[in-house]
Amino acid sequence: MSARRATIVALAIVLAVAACKKDPPPPPAPTGPTTAEIERARQDSVARVTRSRDDSVTAANAARDRAATAERDRLAASQRGLRTTIEAMVHFDYDEADITADAERVLREKADILRANPDVRMRIQGHADERGSTEYNLALSSRRADAVKQFFAGFGLDASRFETTSFGEERPLVNRSDEAAWAQNRRAEFVVTGGGANLRPER
Amino acid sequence: MTLLRVFGAAVAAVTLALAVPARARAQERDSIPGVTLGLVYETLFTPALAIRPFGGRFGGETSANPVEAIVARDLRNSDRFQVMDSLPPAMTGERIDYPLWDRLGAVWLLTGQVEAQGDRSTLLLELHDVVYGRLKESGRFPLPNPEAPDFRMAVHRASDEVVRWIAGEPGMAASRIAFSMVAPGTQNKELYLIDADGENLHRLTNHASIVLSPAWSPDGSRLAFSSYKTGVPRIYIREMATGSERMVSERAFQTGDHMTPAWAPDGVTLAFAVTSGERSGIFTYNVQRNCCLTHLTGGRWNDISPAYAPDGRTLAFNSNRLGTGQPQVYVMPAGGGDPDLISPYAYDRPGYFTAPDWSPVGDLVAFHGAIRRGTYHILVARIEDRGRRVRQLTWEGNNEDPSWAPDGRHIVFKGERRWGKGLFVVDVATGVTRTILTGVDITVPEWSPALPAR
Repeated sequence: MSARRATIVALAIVLAVAACKKDPPPPPAPTGPTTAEIERARQDSVARVTRSRDDSVTAANAARDRAATAERDRLAASQRGLRTTIEAMVHFDYDEADITADAERVLREKADILRANPDVRMRIQGHADERGSTEYNLALSSRRADAVKQFFAGFGLDASRFETTSFGEERPLVNRSDEAAWAQNRRAEFVVTGGGANLRPER
Repeated sequence: MTLLRVFGAAVAAVTLALAVPARARAQERDSIPGVTLGLVYETLFTPALAIRPFGGRFGGETSANPVEAIVARDLRNSDRFQVMDSLPPAMTGERIDYPLWDRLGAVWLLTGQVEAQGDRSTLLLELHDVVYGRLKESGRFPLPNPEAPDFRMAVHRASDEVVRWIAGEPGMAASRIAFSMVAPGTQNKELYLIDADGENLHRLTNHASIVLSPAWSPDGSRLAFSSYKTGVPRIYIREMATGSERMVSERAFQTGDHMTPAWAPDGVTLAFAVTSGERSGIFTYNVQRNCCLTHLTGGRWNDISPAYAPDGRTLAFNSNRLGTGQPQVYVMPAGGGDPDLISPYAYDRPGYFTAPDWSPVGDLVAFHGAIRRGTYHILVARIEDRGRRVRQLTWEGNNEDPSWAPDGRHIVFKGERRWGKGLFVVDVATGVTRTILTGVDITVPEWSPALPAR
């Protein structure tokens, strides 16, 4: 017990003496990072933060772009849909210019869109199959185009929005000589000639 | 006139009977009461015509053989003679040995001699009446050298003169046929020309579009046609000598589709059809003074394909005024007025008759169609018969768009057979059909008038 106390006392004296010295010895050379290293680390850290901020900005931009693209696509799809509808061709029976039930369904959809878009102007192109005379088929295809125009007029659409052209048998859709091809070739096609840039959906 | 005699014979025509008995009943059911479709031809005398080997040479030492070959083919194509050609040179001599040619069976003998005069030459033709043993006619025909582009046409003119010497009627060798055909490698239809003997096929227009319905002016110097060059069909006129073209119909009309032009015999009035416009129907327009638009006929229906009579006082046209899908052929006064039906028609049994073309020498109108739909044939009707009697000229395949030759005896048409399509010619007097061009899908052929030397 006494020996231990003596040791503590001695140690205390030594420490007291040491504390009283005027010039302490120089501290040992520092072993930490050099100034250059610290500067590099600082720059690294700045770069990391910058990168991280840039990444988040890019991500945010990308997200915004994606959203915008999706909206555009949605609108475009809707535009395309409207466009497809008003440009869809209709077909006719052999040697007839009457609007068939199938054609009427298609034309009603067109008429709805055309009513919601009063600026749209269209060219209606009539076609015939190859049977019959070349010149009479011009007249037949002309009657088909006129029948479509009259149908639209009957729906209250201004007939002056529609031009018609007859192509007779000169521009077949399917270049074969059988019933299936003829059925395809007896048709009216629709070309938007004005006001088709921003179609509004029907109401 | 020969054709009228042919029609006289048709009075006794057998009521339409196809060769296949099984189909006869169906055919009868579909025929129209009181309408006779006949296939009876007058037995025509076709005299033998011998061609003595042509003599002489061109300046370039070319022999007269090419001239003889062209003349022989022209006379054969006229369907008026049994031509004896390619005879041995030994048959030539200083004098004509009539008994010798008589023994050969020749009724007519044609001799030819080419006389060179520098760059140009002259063809001397002599027609001998073998039966009476005397010279009947002779003529001198200027010929360019055989390499010149108008050489064949110059020989054709000589051939037509031989036809006139013998038959007293115009020939058709010196003429061309204009038609529309898909330009190779494209989807476009352009106008092409071919000589009446099937030579010299070449392309005329370059519209990169659809060009249809060529119509020759009465002197053959201009061609009217319709073209979609601007996107909508309009009528153009082409000067054949220079190749210059001008659009004529838009001065008269800004709306509608303009189609199927036809020249009046005065050479300045053009009839054409307008469809889909504010006004539709058949109009006439003075293309020399660009004036005087006249509405002849039209209404809720379609009136198209006008075709003038040679005297210009009446015109035939096509109309569906009896109902959709039932085109019929009518004639009306050239200044407008009530039309008369000339294609066969009975109430509730309408046929399909279209593409009329008026004969240049008589009161006949050719068109195509059928009482029963599906197959079309070339038909000829006399105006005064008012549709009660028509002659059917083709019996095979599908046949459309007839156009009369300047001889008023032949008709060119678009034919379709099991083996292919092409440009066909039928002799109205005998019903004999030949092809001019095969393996091509042509449409709306239009035979020119006799083409004079330039």
